Parts: sequence; C-alpha cells; structure tokens
Amino acid sequence: MRLFSDRHHVAELLAYLAFIAVVLAMPAMMDVFWLNRFAKYLVYGMLGIAIALSWGYAGVLNLGQGLFFGLGAYMVAMSLKLQSYTSLQQGSDRPVPDFMLWNAEPGAPTELCCITPGSWLWLPFQTTWFGIVMAIVVPTVIAYAIGSAIFRLRVSGVYVAIITLALVLLVRLLIIDFQPITNGFNGLTDLGWLTVGGFEFDPYMVETYYLIAVPTIVVLLLARALVATRAGLILQSTRDDANRARYLGFDVAGYQVFFFAVSAAIAGLAGMLYVVAAEFASPTFMDLTFSISMVVWAAVGGRSSLLGAAIGAVLINTIEATASETEMLQESWRAIIGLVFVLVVLFLPRGLAGLSHDIVARLPFGKRRRETAAGAVANPAE
Amino acid sequence: MADILFIGLSLGSILLLIALGLMITYGAMGVINMAHGELVMIGAYTAVWCGLLFDMNMLIAIPVAFVVAGALGLLIERLVIRHLYGRILDTLLATWGIAILIQQAIRLQFGLTFFDVNVPGLGPGLQNLSVPHWLNRPFDVGGFTVQPYRSFIIALTLVLVAVTWWLMYRTRFGIQVRAIMRNPQMAAACGINVKRISALTFAYGSGLAGVAGVMMGGFKTVSPEMGQALVVDGFLVVVVGGVGSLLGTVVAAGGLGEINGVVASITNDILARAVMYGLVIALIMWRPAGLFSFKQR
Repeated sequence: MRLFSDRHHVAELLAYLAFIAVVLAMPAMMDVFWLNRFAKYLVYGMLGIAIALSWGYAGVLNLGQGLFFGLGAYMVAMSLKLQSYTSLQQGSDRPVPDFMLWNAEPGAPTELCCITPGSWLWLPFQTTWFGIVMAIVVPTVIAYAIGSAIFRLRVSGVYVAIITLALVLLVRLLIIDFQPITNGFNGLTDLGWLTVGGFEFDPYMVETYYLIAVPTIVVLLLARALVATRAGLILQSTRDDANRARYLGFDVAGYQVFFFAVSAAIAGLAGMLYVVAAEFASPTFMDLTFSISMVVWAAVGGRSSLLGAAIGAVLINTIEATASETEMLQESWRAIIGLVFVLVVLFLPRGLAGLSHDIVARLPFGKRRRETAAGAVANPAE
Repeated sequence: MADILFIGLSLGSILLLIALGLMITYGAMGVINMAHGELVMIGAYTAVWCGLLFDMNMLIAIPVAFVVAGALGLLIERLVIRHLYGRILDTLLATWGIAILIQQAIRLQFGLTFFDVNVPGLGPGLQNLSVPHWLNRPFDVGGFTVQPYRSFIIALTLVLVAVTWWLMYRTRFGIQVRAIMRNPQMAAACGINVKRISALTFAYGSGLAGVAGVMMGGFKTVSPEMGQALVVDGFLVVVVGGVGSLLGTVVAAGGLGEINGVVASITNDILARAVMYGLVIALIMWRPAGLFSFKQR
C-alpha cells in the first residue's frame, strides 16, 4: 500500500488528526453536562465503527448489533448495580439488587445465592473486574459462535441480516421474561459509579469523558490498522466476490467470523462505556429501532469508511439533540431525520465520507490519482 | 386444545395478511419494505378516520383502506423505491427512513408544524376501532366456542390469498409479475413493461397491508407505533416460507402462528415469541432459501 502517496491518503490522514484533536479538545469547549452527552455520542461513534467493519469491510449487514452492545452494557451494569448504595442499604451484609428484594417472597434468604431462582448468576459480578472483562468476552464469544454457525453454512446477504435481527429480538424477549434476575422491562437502574483503584468515575466529570474518548480513538486507530493488514485486504476481496476468494484458497468463513467477532467486541466495549456515562442498562438497547439506527448512522457517515461512520453517528446524534430542543423543530425533527435518511440513501449512497472523497478528487492542487473503475473498486474504503 | 389451535390459526392468518404483501414486493422486486408496517398502520388509521368523519362501518372501511394504502404505496414506489432496484439492502434502509417519516406524520396529525396541516381525530392518542356487534358475540357450537371476529379474519385472509393466487397464476398481470420475479432483464427483453408492473405490484402489496391494518385495528389499539413490530414477523414468515412462494408463505404463517399459539398457552406470550424467533433462526440456517423455494436462474 502506498501510504500518503496521493491526495486521498493525505486527506484521510488530516481527517483522522482533526477528529482526534476535536475529541481531545472537547472538555475545553463544553460544560460537564454537555460533555456527558458528547461522551455518549462518542460511544455511538464506536458503534458506527463496529458497523463499518462488519458491513463496509466484510459485507455482513448485522441488524442485531444491539445484541452485543446490550450484552456488554448488562455485564458491567450488573457489577455496578452491586456497587450502588441502593443495593447496599437493604439490611443484608452482602449487597443484593433492590428489585430482587422487592420481588422476593417473604422470609426468603436475602443472599445473592438463593434469593430468587437463578440469582446465583450474579455472584461473580461482586467483583467489578469480572463485569468489565465479561462485557468484552461475552459478546465476542457469542459472536464467534453465531458467526461460525452462519458463515460456515455460507448464509449470506439478507439472510444474515434477518438472522441477526431475529437473534437480538430473541435475547431481548428473554431478558424481559427473566424478570426476577434482570428486572425485565425496567432494566438495571440506580447503578453505582465505576470505581477503579479507588478512583470513582462520576459520569459528570472530565476524567470520565476521557475514559470514553480515549478508547474511542484507540478503537478507531486499531480498526483502521486492522483493515490495512493482509487479513483486512483479503476480507475486502471476500466482500466483493466471496466465490473468487474461495477459489484463491482463502478461508472465507474464517475471515468473516474473525471480523464479526471483532465488531462484536467493539460493540460490547461501547455498551460498557455507555453504562458508565448513562448509569443504566435496559432492554431498549436491544430494540430493533436502536440496532437499525446504528446502521443508519454508519450509512449517513459512509458505510465503508471507519471514520466516516463514527462521525456520522456523532453528528446525527448531536443534531438530533439540538433539534429536539429547538422550539420550532421540537415536534418535527424525527420526521426530518427520516427524510434526510431517505435522501442520503438515494443521492449519497457512499455517505458523507464518499461525498468528501469526491470533493477532494476535484480539488485543483496536489498529485491527482488516476481514477479508473478498477481503482475505485479496489479502494472503496476511503 | 381445539380452542388453542383456533387461536393459533387466527394469529397465523394475521401474520399471513401482513406477510402476503411483503412476499409479493420482496419476491417480485427484491425490495425489503420496512415501511410495510406503517402501511398497515395507515390502513388502521383509515378505518378510524372513516368511522370518525363519515360514521362508516368497519367493513366498508376495508376497501377504502386498500385504496388509501395502495395509493401511498404507489407514491413511495414512484418517489423512492424506483431508484433503488437491485440494491436490496439500500431498499431496507430507505424504507426505514420512510417508516419514520410516516409514523411522525401521523403522530403530528400530518402536521409538520410549519405546514400547519391538522387532521382532527388522529394523532398520537390511542384509538379504538369498534367492531360491529354481530362480529363480537361468541357463540357455542357443540361445546366449542366460536369467536366470530377471529373467524372473520381467517375467512377474509382465505379470500385474499385466493384473490392473490388468482391474480398471480390466472391473469396476464400475474404471468408478467412471475416473469419479473425469475429474471427481470429477460422479462424486459420480452417486452414486459417492468417499471409499470413493478409499480402496480408494489401498490397491490401495500393495499393488502392496508386491509391487514383494518383487521389489526379490531384487535389492538391503533397507534403510530403499531406497525413496527409487525413488519419483522412478516419478514420472518416470508423468509421461512421461501421468497416469492405463495404456498410457502401460507404454510410458514400457519405454522408459526400455531407454534406461537400453542407455546403461549403453555408458558406466556413473551416466551412464545422468543421460541418463534429461535425456530426461525434454526430454519433459516437449515434452509436459507426457505421451505418452498423455486430455483432461481
């Protein structure tokens, strides 16, 4: 790969640097209230990166990314729930989630082991580190298992989308149905703050912002490095023509499973960080609407550009938040978002990243790369 | 047991009503229409509106809803879908945007505030559709309680399936639609006006959604969100049955409806749906092309 050999690479590099600079400088521009919000949008940006990896690079449209986000969120939320003072105030010597006590039968033991059937599942979450590690491990393992099953059977395209969609709804229903240990529809609320090495991360604090911003930048850069590796290139050839890649002797399913799992790990991390900033986890994370929204953000930003997808997510959410607070737009902003979305799919199928790519190509200075049809196919990632 | 099977059958026929339209548009044109649920919702609102403004009976509202939803479908096809043929995942995304748009338009009573359009009687409030008395009185036949409204839905579904079958397999229009399903280029080369037939097909599928909406209105409260949950179930039916297969869609809808009904009677509604989703995932993995599918190309 000829890095920085033409204006597109220079433009890409500048865009990455600008994004990182803006993200790091944000605390200087905003109060803590907005900073907390912006941290959540960065988490959405991470989800955009996860979608771009699996959709833009692997060609696998996952309509159930909320599953991995939600699992990550629930894992860490279980730990933080046991750290919260509402669960400490309940009179038992070890903390028990308050909703379990409300629902417990009178006279039942108020211990995590046996307050309700299945409540022993919460036992290891008494260690916060367990929740943090599981927030990444559980989504990755589940994605690996599902991915192996789907891709080895050569399920592709729309069918992957439908399977993932059914899956996220299935898990959502299970979480709602296992009310005694998950608090059902209400989700886990009244969480404690994340405490690492004696330091408490108050969600409305600059340190907490960096706790979210730095991993976002790291994930962005790692993902960018990953797609430039040999594995990433093989993956893109798989997306463009799976059979061709198979003929060339590549283990197509293996690469797809790997990237599916990486994308799930990123989503799990995003879910975990979201809980730190938002202080709750609920089944709405696994709603169809949320999973499709992520895809929408990535599409608006540019599905095959990692940075574009991240910026798309941050941008749409910031605009939504601003619009919903502007009096004139208060009622119609959702409709406008819907309209914008239709227009993007119709007129900007490569999203904002594609648009800026075209603009860079028209700039009058710098070395012009020869734009051939083959070149455009080989490098759709910009 | 007969009661449970009967409930399963009526669940299945509602699934079928919704899936029928999706099957036609997906099978014929490769369009995943996420706004289908909103067309169902429009059908339900049309019935509400007919009742409010013209004091119209629910039964008379059925053809009106068919026309209204069909016309809206035609509009969507003309404005958006026409430009997206062959980009199947993009149709999914664009129609999702349309779904949001329609939902909000209804919630604001068509009134994007600055246009200042207001239609009284609609809006975000939950509506109820009154089912005619004679459809609401259960009666006993030999120890078996007959629910007239559920029976009516099953009967209407059967009629619509028959009409669709007739349209697809016994008319010139149907031959052209099936030709487009198999190979649009070849069909165009043979002189079929693919654009026109596709638009009509989409309008017909949308019309069926409108009718499904009127039926749903008799069951559930009519609200702007009612469509969203339906479209997913409809899709699962279409995919399990085999894209473009009328028989497959009927069998899949019946099967999933029965499973849902039976499991719900043993455990609860939530778990029943979870079991249904699990089964669908297993089925798609086992036979990605669906239970009844014709060989393409």
